[in-house]
Amino acid sequence: MRKPTSPLRAEAVPKQVKLALEDVEIERGGRTLLRDVSLVLDGGVIALVGANGVGKTTLLRTIAGALAPAAGAVRLDGVPVRTLHARERAQQIALVDPTEPVLAALTVAGAVAAARFPHHRWWEWEATPQDEAAVDEALRRTGLTTFRARELGTLSAGERQRVWIALAIAQRASVVLLDEPTSHLDLKASVETLQLIRELARDGALVIAVLHQLEEAAAFADRVIVLGCEGIVADGSPEGALTAESIERAYDVAVTVERRPGGLAFHRNAVLRQAHPQVTPRQDRP
Amino acid sequence: MRIGALAALVPLTMLIGIAFGGAALAPGVLWNALAHPSAGGDAATIIWQLRIPRVAIAATVGATLALAGVLLQSLLRNPIVDPYLTGVSSGAGASIAIAATAGVAPALVPPLGFVSGLATAILVAVLARRGPRLDAERLVLAGVSLSALLSAFVTLALERLARGTASEAILAWLAGSLAGRGWADLGAAAPEAILGVVIGVATIPSLNVLRLGEGRAAALGVDVTRLQWALLVAATLLTAAAVALAGLVGFVGLVVPHLARRVVGPDLRALVPASVLAGASLVVLADTFARTLAAPAEIPLGVLLAFVGVPTFLVLYLRGAARAYA
Repeated sequence: MRKPTSPLRAEAVPKQVKLALEDVEIERGGRTLLRDVSLVLDGGVIALVGANGVGKTTLLRTIAGALAPAAGAVRLDGVPVRTLHARERAQQIALVDPTEPVLAALTVAGAVAAARFPHHRWWEWEATPQDEAAVDEALRRTGLTTFRARELGTLSAGERQRVWIALAIAQRASVVLLDEPTSHLDLKASVETLQLIRELARDGALVIAVLHQLEEAAAFADRVIVLGCEGIVADGSPEGALTAESIERAYDVAVTVERRPGGLAFHRNAVLRQAHPQVTPRQDRP
Repeated sequence: MRIGALAALVPLTMLIGIAFGGAALAPGVLWNALAHPSAGGDAATIIWQLRIPRVAIAATVGATLALAGVLLQSLLRNPIVDPYLTGVSSGAGASIAIAATAGVAPALVPPLGFVSGLATAILVAVLARRGPRLDAERLVLAGVSLSALLSAFVTLALERLARGTASEAILAWLAGSLAGRGWADLGAAAPEAILGVVIGVATIPSLNVLRLGEGRAAALGVDVTRLQWALLVAATLLTAAAVALAGLVGFVGLVVPHLARRVVGPDLRALVPASVLAGASLVVLADTFARTLAAPAEIPLGVLLAFVGVPTFLVLYLRGAARAYA
């Protein structure tokens, strides 16, 4: 299913890795969100979808090793990610979170250069030729070469998102985790971002993205994992996982799934009954 | 190259600090005394016993305050933070005030100030904790409110002692001054200053990553919890050294990093040395003015720096220099 490696990155193909979640239980603020999650993630673009608050972000951060699971383990090629030293972990796993505030005066090149931190020992302060090559390549692939000296505070949301993806490229991580990479982006910036994500996977990275738009998951992911409050509701190809039944179980909304060339479309059948008890369910729309 | 210019500024200002003072010395006399340290005579005594140690102390105060400022500003991701936020100065000030009121022997006052400064910083840090990490908002709140409480003690002591002579110790501390300081004082403050510099410099590469935010820094392999505590410890030690040497000298820790950022940019590998060099030059120069402008009397260093520095800072700030995080 994976296409041949892009010639642009011949010198630095991420090594293929396997992530395994073994009976993972996650909680936030003392409340259990998901339990007994067991998954093998080994390539392509994998979309995590599910209702707000179900634990997608927490699961992503647990996979990243930023949070400890309440039970079970996340293993990267057999090694529990929490036992890896922070820099070793960062050599292999990149986490792209567009929501955190950032120093506005930082330049694009300065920000992307920081992604080389895990490849340095603590006494190695200066950028090596490999660092410079990695930064140049990341800027070129994200179309940011002419933005090198621009300050982050002057960028649009879409341009900034490209910077965060450039960081993941410069980091040369085998696993790239993205938390809602297309939120706050307009249509064009969303598509560009998702295309960049696809390129990462084509070049061999394992890409896991939390996505809100089911259409985006259907069009850009190789595999979709639908999360509900009881755990994994569906897991498989977009057509196999994003069925009317699984979406209703995960979101408590009845939908009609329409197959279209190049993807799926989702039509809401009725308004949510439990959240709005005063509203009587309407008839299905045509 | 810009750092080179700043580095040249330090010996230049030091030379000015040695050449000028309360007593006017002819260039020939000055040169002779510098060239023959053991020759004896008034000029040699003035140069080697008074001015050189004083210039060295001024440089140390400027360098430590500026470094503490850069480290704390990086920790809190806020460019308008002052190193006194750690509570070191207000803790030291309150204990000096209480000691003066209670009639504690003068020899005991400096160590008492140092210990209570550190104790206050620890209290601020404990209040600022959220889980294992430090919370920027809590740190600011704890620092500001504890400082306000402790300075109330200073005011109370001043009011009680208004007609006595014992308030001089408090006044001198509040005004910030290097009058009467010598090699022994520098030796006493050196260990914490050196430890603060070593810890601070070791954090520089991680500080550059921290500019992307705590979450991103952690994902890039920075041990954020350890980094935060290292920064707070280093800033506290550096501020304690400066406060022990000079009392309350404001403006340096706040504004020098700010100016240095405008000259060399936000990369900490350049910003830290630039701030240290600029801080040292600035305080050496300011102390030279403090000694000479109203000789034989001295203008308090802290007052002089505030008069010159605060308007400069306000102009820079209003012209948009403070834009930083979004």
